[in-house]
Amino acid sequence: MIRKYLQKIYLALIFILLYAPIVTLIVLSFNQSKTRAKWGGFTLKWYRELFRNEQIMSAFYTTLIIAFVSAAIATIIGTAAAIAIQGMKQKWKTMYMGLTNIPMMNAEIVMGVSLMLLFIAFHMTLGFGTILIAHITFNIPYVILSVAPKLKQTNRYTYEAALDLGASPVRAFFKVVFPDIVPGVLSGFMLAFTMSLDDFVITHFTKGPGIDTLSTKIYTEVRKGIKPEIYALSTIMFVTVLVLLILVNYSPKEDEEAAARKKVRRPSKVKKIIIRRVLPVTICIVFIGGGFYYAKESDVLNDEKLVVYNWGEYIDPEVLTIFEKETGIDVIYEEFETNEILYPKISSGAIAYDVICPSDYMIQRMIKNDLLSEIDFDNIPNLKNIGKQYLEQSRQFDPENKYSVPYCWGTVGILYNKTMVDEPVDSWSILWDEKYKDSILMQDSVRDAFGVALKYLGYSLNSTDLDELTEAKNLLIEQKPLVQAYVIDQVRDKMIGNEAAIGVIYSGEAIYTQKENSNLEYVIPKEGSNIWIDSWVIPKNAEHKENAEKFINFLCRPDIALMNFDYITYSTPNEAARELIEDDDIRNSKIAFPDLSKYDNLETFQYLGTEADQTYGDLWNKVKSS
Amino acid sequence: MKNKRMLAGPYLFWAVSFVVIPLLVIVYYAFTSDDGSFTFANLAQITTPENLKALGMSILLSFLSTVFCLLLAYPLAMILSQKKVNQTSFVVLIFILPMWMNFLLRTLAWQTLLEKNGVINSVLSFLHLPALEIINTPYAIVLGMVYNFLPFMVLPIYNVLIKIDNNVINAARDLGANPVQTFLKVIFPLSIPGVISGITMVFVPALTTFVISDLLGGGKILLIGNVIEQSFKQNSNWHVGSGLSLVLMVFIIASMALVAKYDNEDGGAAF
Amino acid sequence: MSNKLIDLIDISKSYGMQTVLDELNLYIRENEFLTLLGPSGCGKTTTLRILGGFETPDKGHVIFNGQDITDLPPNKRQLNTVFQKYALFTHMNIAENIAFGLKIKNKSKQYIYDKIKYALKLVNLDGFENRMPDSLSGGQQQRIAIARAIVNEPKVLLLDEPLGALDLKMRQDMQYELIRLKNELGITFLYVTHDQEEALTMSDTIVVMNQGYIQQIGTPEKIYNEPENAFVADFIGESNIISATMVEDRLVKILGVNFACVDEGFGQNQPVDVVIRPEDIDLLKPGEGSIDGVVTHMIFKGVHYEMEVMANNYEWLIHSTDMFSVGTEVSIHVDPFDIQIMKKPESEDEEAVNIEE
Repeated sequence: MIRKYLQKIYLALIFILLYAPIVTLIVLSFNQSKTRAKWGGFTLKWYRELFRNEQIMSAFYTTLIIAFVSAAIATIIGTAAAIAIQGMKQKWKTMYMGLTNIPMMNAEIVMGVSLMLLFIAFHMTLGFGTILIAHITFNIPYVILSVAPKLKQTNRYTYEAALDLGASPVRAFFKVVFPDIVPGVLSGFMLAFTMSLDDFVITHFTKGPGIDTLSTKIYTEVRKGIKPEIYALSTIMFVTVLVLLILVNYSPKEDEEAAARKKVRRPSKVKKIIIRRVLPVTICIVFIGGGFYYAKESDVLNDEKLVVYNWGEYIDPEVLTIFEKETGIDVIYEEFETNEILYPKISSGAIAYDVICPSDYMIQRMIKNDLLSEIDFDNIPNLKNIGKQYLEQSRQFDPENKYSVPYCWGTVGILYNKTMVDEPVDSWSILWDEKYKDSILMQDSVRDAFGVALKYLGYSLNSTDLDELTEAKNLLIEQKPLVQAYVIDQVRDKMIGNEAAIGVIYSGEAIYTQKENSNLEYVIPKEGSNIWIDSWVIPKNAEHKENAEKFINFLCRPDIALMNFDYITYSTPNEAARELIEDDDIRNSKIAFPDLSKYDNLETFQYLGTEADQTYGDLWNKVKSS
Repeated sequence: MKNKRMLAGPYLFWAVSFVVIPLLVIVYYAFTSDDGSFTFANLAQITTPENLKALGMSILLSFLSTVFCLLLAYPLAMILSQKKVNQTSFVVLIFILPMWMNFLLRTLAWQTLLEKNGVINSVLSFLHLPALEIINTPYAIVLGMVYNFLPFMVLPIYNVLIKIDNNVINAARDLGANPVQTFLKVIFPLSIPGVISGITMVFVPALTTFVISDLLGGGKILLIGNVIEQSFKQNSNWHVGSGLSLVLMVFIIASMALVAKYDNEDGGAAF
Repeated sequence: MSNKLIDLIDISKSYGMQTVLDELNLYIRENEFLTLLGPSGCGKTTTLRILGGFETPDKGHVIFNGQDITDLPPNKRQLNTVFQKYALFTHMNIAENIAFGLKIKNKSKQYIYDKIKYALKLVNLDGFENRMPDSLSGGQQQRIAIARAIVNEPKVLLLDEPLGALDLKMRQDMQYELIRLKNELGITFLYVTHDQEEALTMSDTIVVMNQGYIQQIGTPEKIYNEPENAFVADFIGESNIISATMVEDRLVKILGVNFACVDEGFGQNQPVDVVIRPEDIDLLKPGEGSIDGVVTHMIFKGVHYEMEVMANNYEWLIHSTDMFSVGTEVSIHVDPFDIQIMKKPESEDEEAVNIEE
């Protein structure tokens, strides 16, 4: 009895372990607050928003279509292969099963990487097709491994009996063998479908611009805070599948009981068929049909298009909609997290972006390596709205102002929580204060992290002196035990949620966090810091340069620049837009628009060359793995 | 029966094109430098202190999660296998169902649960218990791995256990073995194939993950998966990335061969 | 063959709504070969499992050698089981399988070695020590299962349909083998089967069971020749079971014709069942026997001819060494002592007994 009791408790604990995160996500889908860090009351608004969010819906349908198509193709190829393998001699059988086991045993990351290298080596454009191929590849083994055991169980004499009775081999197979292995084929299909749906790693490596599955969409969003719509979508998916599975699994039992009580009743049989067959099929058709509908909506085939590669959460989606409406150009919008992730994509030329938004030093590097094309400023009359001092600043990385148009600018500083930090904060030194162990958030990017250390040491943040850099590295290693986490945009959510006391953050984020949590304060440390400009540039291999210029010009329009400022809260270099800001406090905010003349130790990042980059990278790896 | 063998044609073509050749491409990249000349330097990258440390950390964490998975999964599979038949689909359901909530989201949800002011700590502080501070530590990564890969341990073991004839267990009892002896001498040895496939299915993904360490390690813990991912996605150093991938692959094959060998030797003698 | 070794007292067992055993009482004497015989679902295997300790009865007691062992776990009981599908440990070789129980009891290596040798010799499988169970035939696996049980020197060997999975020839060989083993070992065998021929060949005592009740206990001869009810008669061998009326002592009216018989004490004009074995019927020329009829079917069976004779609206099954071709008119004769009279079932429970499997 006690044993039974213990077993129950154990099962319950495992159940909690498995489902606690799921419940959490479901709860978050009803959270009024946009950040997952706090509960803002119950709402259904994310469910409404979800269906209006074209990006998420199209990622969702892409996911479903890829899962469905790849599972279907894998099922056909896999089942055929399983049948053939079954009839082979032992030697061949072993070879084929070995082949099948490679993708099962191999690390996902190795498989993803190998496929990516293959696609690039054969100049295949990374996109829907490559993801599909990759998914089919890892799905086939699941199908073979589900079908093979069923085939083993089938009685080969029934097949021969069918031949004996005059059926052709094909007919004999479909009439006699196939019905026996259907459960295996179906479970193989379902397994493949689920695996494809849940895959991230392989998709991550084989996807191209303008296409996202839910997984990759979520991965980009992880860094800047997940959109609550995603929670809503996941909840809907989860509940749908749950209901479906319950119907499929538990309806027959009920029917049997009913049948036992009152003999066999016709209606119950019909009901059973409806529940077990018609309903799931209908739901699948709705999903898949919807997928093709949405795929059509997003209209990848339109000639007039523009491939934009921008920072995460760095534009008001409404702006894109207006642009598409006004110009009839379809925008394919992709996001990156750091300049370092951006660079290889541009330099490899694997993907033809039309307009991208790197930071100062990265633009310098791209100009140096001849990756950018000159902008035709005749097409950008709205450039007049951009403040002269910003174009002047830009000369540091774009000496002749030929390649770039400033989009946002700001500083890097310290965001701290007044309730947790009593002393006045004015120096980077607080990031090395033992008192705040496990309450410090550092930037997870090479230059930002080293910039902080170099400035604190009193060096230039563009130092290439190995001694200075080693000193900075040692300082960062010394700091590591105090650091709660290295993050990028997550600083925002964590600071709002009171998870940390001090964080290194961009000034633009500081304005947003202050709105959400009034205890937060932003300072530019006295040792000086980084001042940065993110500008729009056009890569050499852009396929739609004129559209890109139209887009840049559009973004320089005062009303549009204001919309973006309101949305992303990063300082705009657009003077005309700043004039339009209604709120005096913000228009004159020291954070958003600091008086640059007061600081003499603000530096922009410079491109330091491959060798120095390598040095920075190696040193940073040492920090991360220390 | 000649035409029956033709059915394997599409698969053979597919597997060679998208499994075998890509691996050869990796091998090519691994042994060449930027200018296309032959080199061992990429493979040698594994011996840098940082990469060795990342590999060591990966091995340690994946080993721990495999052990925890096994310890959690075995009793679970035992309990489930003793339930009456016809619940197989139910068992599979319980473990497959969470997969319909995206893997990244599921893992991310642990952040919300584990954070300093997260759900678990709120409950603990309400109960006046000490807070659980494991977020952004290797413990959180192990937890994430165990959580994500537990089903891959449970299902194979469960599948083996339900196939054990009840009378074999009865026979052991009948011959005088107490429940513990029955487990050690009969049930466990018979379930070893399931345990091995479970270990493979947990150890390999745990060894090579970069997502879980990313999401739950706070960027402080670098695993070999992270190093490889970075060399492809950030540093754009495909040759080094391929070299490390190759080393990792060989390591996996070697360790799996070791496990399989151990399994074969387990026969033992009668006396 | 004197003292009771095992005594089952008022054993009841049910699974959910289904009663498998209902207040069963049975004793087994030392050194006896006792067979539980009945169709599947009759409760014979459950009885065996209760004895083995794999099931606990809902009610009642199991007495072994004077001790109540009802709640004793299987590993503490002095009896061993040979399972239906052998249940060998597939991960151990033959020697390890046989040594299993002895190792548990911490016997010395030499002792175990000798025992394995002895047991393999006993089951005629010398030299099989290092083979794996999977490489053995069904019959060989069965012998190993027996060897594995008997090395533990149990007081009682429980055998659960041990020959069920073997082919006919093998089964017959094993029957003699088992009898030989029993005689050599001098221990009690409790044997479960649904095969009446097996039961008749090997047993000292047969217990016929159906639907959780014991139908009849007796020697093979008694069970065969004097079945106590229609179920037993029908289950053991082929027979003609006919509703009849007991006119008076030693006179029964079958299909409207009076037959002399040897039974007494059923009262006057009572409804009864009569059993007449097919080989006990003689066929005579028309008019010379009790009832006339026509041969409707005839098959040659080797030892005898099997015929069906339609007489008085009843199809009689008859075995005879004389051949009568289809269409021949014959007359049926039965000697009085070949007519077995049985009471008609009265209660519902007894009625249930008559429902065929």
